[in-house]
Amino acid sequence: MSLSKYLLSRLGQALIVLWAAFTLSFLLLQMMPGDAVLIKYMGGDFALTPEQLANIRQIYGSDNPPLQRYLSALTSTLTGDFGYSIDAGVRVTALLADNILPTFRLAGLGFLAAVVLSFTLAFLSYFSPFSWLRRVITMLPSLFVAIPVFWLGIMLIQMFSFRLRLVPVINPGPWVGLILPIATLAVPISAPIAQILMRNIDDVMTRPFVAVARAKGASLNWVFWKHVLANALLPVLTICGMLFGELLAGAVVAETVFGLNGIGRLTEAAVATLDVAVLQAVVLLSAATFVTINLVVDLLYPLLDPRLRKNAKAV
Amino acid sequence: MLSKLSRRQLLKSMCAIGALVATGVTAVPSWAQDKPTAGGTLVYLEKQAHTSLYPPGAGFYPNAGVLNQITDKLTYQNPQTLEIEPWIAESWDVNADATEYTFRLREGVTFSDGTPLDAKAVAANYDVYGLGNITLKQTVSEAINNYARSEVIDAKTVKFYFKAPSPGFLQATATPTSGLVAVSTLGLSADELGRAPNIIGSGPFVVASEKLGTEIQLTARKDYAWGPAKVKQQGRANLDGITVLTVPEDGVRIGALLSGQGDFIRQVHAYDEAQVKTAGYTVYGAQTRGTTHAVAFRPGNPLVADLKVRQALLHATNSTEIITTLFSENYPKARSPLSSVSAGFVDLSSELGFDPEAAKKLLDEAGWKPGADGIRQKDGARLSLGAYESLNYARSKETLQLLAQQWQKVGVELKLLAGEAGTRTKDDLDPLKTPLVPTKVERADPDVLKSQYYPTTRDQLRQKGGKGVATEFVDKTLNDILDKVASEPNTAKRLEYTGDAQKRLIEQAYVIPLFEEPQSFAGAPDVKDVVFEAVGRPVFYSAWLDR
Repeated sequence: MSLSKYLLSRLGQALIVLWAAFTLSFLLLQMMPGDAVLIKYMGGDFALTPEQLANIRQIYGSDNPPLQRYLSALTSTLTGDFGYSIDAGVRVTALLADNILPTFRLAGLGFLAAVVLSFTLAFLSYFSPFSWLRRVITMLPSLFVAIPVFWLGIMLIQMFSFRLRLVPVINPGPWVGLILPIATLAVPISAPIAQILMRNIDDVMTRPFVAVARAKGASLNWVFWKHVLANALLPVLTICGMLFGELLAGAVVAETVFGLNGIGRLTEAAVATLDVAVLQAVVLLSAATFVTINLVVDLLYPLLDPRLRKNAKAV
Repeated sequence: MLSKLSRRQLLKSMCAIGALVATGVTAVPSWAQDKPTAGGTLVYLEKQAHTSLYPPGAGFYPNAGVLNQITDKLTYQNPQTLEIEPWIAESWDVNADATEYTFRLREGVTFSDGTPLDAKAVAANYDVYGLGNITLKQTVSEAINNYARSEVIDAKTVKFYFKAPSPGFLQATATPTSGLVAVSTLGLSADELGRAPNIIGSGPFVVASEKLGTEIQLTARKDYAWGPAKVKQQGRANLDGITVLTVPEDGVRIGALLSGQGDFIRQVHAYDEAQVKTAGYTVYGAQTRGTTHAVAFRPGNPLVADLKVRQALLHATNSTEIITTLFSENYPKARSPLSSVSAGFVDLSSELGFDPEAAKKLLDEAGWKPGADGIRQKDGARLSLGAYESLNYARSKETLQLLAQQWQKVGVELKLLAGEAGTRTKDDLDPLKTPLVPTKVERADPDVLKSQYYPTTRDQLRQKGGKGVATEFVDKTLNDILDKVASEPNTAKRLEYTGDAQKRLIEQAYVIPLFEEPQSFAGAPDVKDVVFEAVGRPVFYSAWLDR
C-alpha cells in the first residue's frame, strides 16, 4: 500500500472518529439535567417571566426535538459554525481562536520538557556509578506521579515567584510566564515515560544480543546508544501517544492555577454552565488532536524500527 | 535653594529622615494624599471571568468590575449618603405619583466611538433595559419596575413614562446595571456582548483589547470631562490604564498582591485578612447595602410549611457563632433581612434571638418528636432538609455546615446537597428538593426586597405564580406590601412599607438573617482613592498610584 493511499484511509477513519465523538458527546450532554439557557436565565440575576423565558428558549431553539437539534448542530458544525457560548456571550470560534494556541504551546512545551526530564532520569540511572543513586532515581517517577499537579503548581509559584521573586506569574512575558506552568505539567507527564523507558532499558539489557555485543568487546556506552536505546524506544513512543489525555487534564489545572488562558480553562467553565456549543467544539478539537497524534505515532514506528518498514512493504 | 544648605545640614536632615524610616514612623507628607499623581497602569486581579456584558447583567461582580469603568450612568448615588446626585443628567423632575420622570442631560458627552450621548441615546438604552429586546436576547433589567415608554423632548431632554408608580426608578438610573451604551452596542445580541471591545460606553476608560476569559486592557479616555458633578475627581481619570486579569486561585491572587505583582484584588476571605493587613496592605470590606446574607425557606415544602418549625429553626440559629468562627469584623451580625446601612432598615434583633430551648419547645408543639437517631419525626417523616451552597457568596458551604451542626442540636438534619449546575438549577426551582436556600441581593434601594421575594422576580420563597414548580404556597399579605414598596411615591410612607416587609418576613420566619456580607477587596498601600459605589463594586475613576 502506498503512503498516500495509507494516509487517505487514515483520513477516512479520522472523519468517522470525529463524527462518532460529536454524536456521542451530543447524546451524553442531552442526558444531563437542565441546559445552559435554564442555568443562565433561571439561576442568576435575571428575573424573567415564564413567557420571556419561553421566548428565549425558542430563539435558542432549545425546546426543539433532540433529532432536529442534532441535525442543525451537525450541519452548522460542518460549515465551521460552532454557534455561541450562551454563558460567555461570544462566538465559540472566537473563544477557540483566543485559546487554542496558548494551550498547544503549553502542552507541546510541557510534553517536550517531560521527555527531556524522563530521558535524563533514564540515562542517569543507566550510567549511575552507584547503586544507591540508581535506586533513588528509579524511585523518582513513582514520586512524580503521586504529586498532585495543583499542589505542585502552587508550591512552584509560592517558591519561585512570591518568595524568591525570580519569575512573575502576573503579567509575565510570553515565554517567561511559561517556565513554571511547563515545569508543573512536565513532572507528572514525565513519570510514565521515565518508568517505561527504564523498564525497557533493563529488559533489553538482558537480551542475548547485548551479551553478544559486550562479548565482542563493545563498551557499555556504545551498546547503550547503538542497541539498547533503539530497542527500548518503541513502547515509549506508544505511551507518549497515549499521554495526550493526561496532558489535557494537566493543562486544565495549570491554566487555572497560573491564570493562563487556554482550552483547559475554557472547558472547565463550559462544564460548569453546561455550555453545550463550547463543549461540543472542545470534544471535536480533542478528538482531532488525538487522531493526529496517533497518526504521527504510527508514521514514526517504521522510522524507528526497520523491521516494521519491511512489514509495511510486505503488506 | 539646595546650594545654600551646608553639607553638614544636608547630612543632618538626611540622617533624620533615615532615623524616621528606621524607627518605622511613617510620616506621610500631606501632599501625598490630596494631590493625585497622574499616570501608571493598575493591575486588578479578578477571581472570575466576566460573562455577557449586557449592562443589566452587571449584578455579577466581574461584569460590574468592567462595566463601571467604561460606562456612565444617568445619575450618581453617593455611596456615603445614598443621595442621588447629577451625572449625565444635570437635573430631573418626577411627577407626584412617580409615573413620569424628566431628565435634562449634560451637553457635549460622547461615547468612545464619537457618537453623542444625547436624549435619543438615553431613550434607546432605557427602552431596552425597561422593556427588553427578546429577539436580541436582551432581558428586562431587574432594577426597573413598571416601565412603559420614553419620549425625546429635545436633544438634551428625555422623559420616561411608567404604567404604575415607580419610585425606585431614580435610584435605578444610578445602579451598575444601568450603564449607558452606544446605540450600536444595543443593536448587538447578548450573544455578542461577551466581547468587551463590543461595549461602547462613555466612561472614563475604554476597552483597548481583550484575551477572552483572562485579560482586558482598559485605557483612560483623554477627553473624558463628565464625571459625576459632585465628586472630587474631575476631568480624565488619573490612571493611564487598568489591566484586568482573571486569577481564579485565591492563594495566587493574594501572593501576587503581597509580592508586588498585582495592585488590587477582589475577594479576600476572612481567614486571609490578617495576612494581608500585617503586611501593611489594605483590606476593603465594601458594604453591599442590599439584603443580608440569609437562608430563606420555601414553605411550599410540607416540612417547613408550619410556622412553628421555621420559627424553631430561626431560634436554633446562632449567627454570632457563624461570624466568629468563619468571618471577621467586616461581617456585621444581621439585625433584619435588610442590611443596617440600607434605607428603610428596621432593627429586628429582638426577634432574632438564639434560644435552643425555645426552638425545641416550638418543635415539640409542632408535633415533631425526637426519633431513635436524634432527628425529629412526625407521622413517619424525618425532619431532614436539603440545601445547596451558593457559589457566589463568601464561604456559603462552611456557613451551611455550621448551621447544620447548630440545628442538629435541636433535632433537625440539614444536608448539604451537591450536583452540577443543571441539577442544581432544576432542584432550586422545586421546593420539595430545596426547602431552604442561601440568599442575598444587592441594591441600595428598598426595591431590593421585591427583587428578592416577589413571585415574578427572583421569588426566593418559591410562591405560586413564580419560578417554582409544584408549589401552592402564596403569601398575599407579603406580596401586597412588596407591591407598595415598589410603587409608593411618598418616601416616608415607602420606608414605612419597607419596614413592614422586613417585619412580615421575620414574623412568618420565612428568612433567617445571618450577617451583612461585604465584598472584600485588598489593595497595595500605594493604591489610593479607589471608590466603591453603593453596592460595593469598585470604581477606578479617581484611583491613582502613589509611586
